[in-house]
Amino acid sequence: MIRRGVSFYSYQQTQFFGKMGWKDMIREVHDNLKTDGVEIIDEAIIRNYPFMTDEFIFDWNNEMARYNMKAVTMDIYLDVHQFRDHVMNYREAAERLKNDIKIASKLGFENVRCLCLVPTEVIEMAIPTAEKYNIRIGKEIHAPLPIKAGLSHDKIDPILDPRMVDQLLELIHRTGTKHVGLVPDFGVFQHSPTDLAIDYFKRHYNPEMIDFILEKSQEGYSTPDILSLLDEQYKGHGLHIMTLGAIAINESCAKPKDIIDIIPYILSIHGKFYHMTEVDGQPDQYEDKAIDYETPIRFLKENGFEGYINSEFEGQRYCHDNGIENMIDEVEQVRRHHEMLKRLINK
Amino acid sequence: MLDDYLIRKDSLENVLDGDEIIGFKFAIRIADYRGCFLSLVNGYFVKCDNVEYSKEVQKLEINGKVPRTFEEISHCIWEHWDYDDEAFLHISKDGGLGVGSHEIAFQQSILAQYGYMPWDEEWVMNPPQPGKGGSGKTDTVSTFKLELLTSEVNVG
Repeated sequence: MIRRGVSFYSYQQTQFFGKMGWKDMIREVHDNLKTDGVEIIDEAIIRNYPFMTDEFIFDWNNEMARYNMKAVTMDIYLDVHQFRDHVMNYREAAERLKNDIKIASKLGFENVRCLCLVPTEVIEMAIPTAEKYNIRIGKEIHAPLPIKAGLSHDKIDPILDPRMVDQLLELIHRTGTKHVGLVPDFGVFQHSPTDLAIDYFKRHYNPEMIDFILEKSQEGYSTPDILSLLDEQYKGHGLHIMTLGAIAINESCAKPKDIIDIIPYILSIHGKFYHMTEVDGQPDQYEDKAIDYETPIRFLKENGFEGYINSEFEGQRYCHDNGIENMIDEVEQVRRHHEMLKRLINK
Repeated sequence: MLDDYLIRKDSLENVLDGDEIIGFKFAIRIADYRGCFLSLVNGYFVKCDNVEYSKEVQKLEINGKVPRTFEEISHCIWEHWDYDDEAFLHISKDGGLGVGSHEIAFQQSILAQYGYMPWDEEWVMNPPQPGKGGSGKTDTVSTFKLELLTSEVNVG
């Protein structure tokens, strides 16, 4: 059975305004979502990161025990400018990863999620530490990455290598380690722009131009081609190709069926979503109209995946520009997401 | 992201050194959902009542310590700015600000990243000027209207 959890990233705005702390988030997951999976971002939750106190460790582990929660995955980062007088080298990056593994271990986590831009060599250097502390290192598969490279719609990206998954699998097979795996993000199954992003862009740019972009995207134009059209027809439009990527979406960057072959390597999954709205004609049932959940979850179930899907709400960022009263309720969005997850998992 | 909420609206005060008002300060937060190592904080784009104040006249008061210049902050490689915490940004200005309403245009410059980027070496040699890099997920400048309620000041 697939399990449900929440990344506390989902409550970033509520936390910012001091309305919820991590203990409130744990209680929300336990009391209202009736589940046990917990994922955190180390730098957002741990006081005095990376030098957390024993008091924090005891407090965290006690609270998790109190509600019988499961510390699934801790999300970790790689700020290569930390030292300012030089770019962090791979050995230093591996040190940060090893330190984060030790922190995760003290807080009872099973996995650390490292970013898709962390070099494979850095992960390899941290394997002995991961094995010693029995923490698995999961590399995120985040949009615009595919699961399997070589698709016609592989995005041209100077930074992200579309063969990332293959490279990681090569490392796993070559070393034989059981402590490295993958953390796919449901954002790779986003097939159309979310309405929140469209509304956001219409508030900040010429709405007619945004409709033009959406129309061309629907007609199958690629993002670079749309940018060229904009340069001709809307001179001085001010849109960057990365920005355009949030609304010029006409197919998902990964094929849902590609998840089947990587199931043995999945440590946990990010349930990325932007906006849960009611399913037409189905009161109290919710869906994200921009992301395919049904097909990948069916494949996961049919092929025996029993790990966690942790909600990762990201729609709040498109509602921060329009007054506090128009911000979106993160708690409600995550509750709706769990209505959907529960329904699809039990289907 | 929450860039329009980085300055606490009721936090504007003048700063005193001895008998002299040497500047003003206001309370700020960090955007983009996580904290960061303090060394990554590269200063702020600040324009108050249409006067720009460069990072050379700014100091950051954070983690219960005295205000530090951004040259000092760049060496704080193991100190962290936690996401929940407020800091004070101090701006040197002889005589401080007058009582009343002030408009502050504001943008953070934080050299946080998700990994290696093509401009890394350039950023070590020549970090971007605040306002020209490191703004995070929002690349616009936010404008705040703040009231200086009293000429009474705290000791800077």
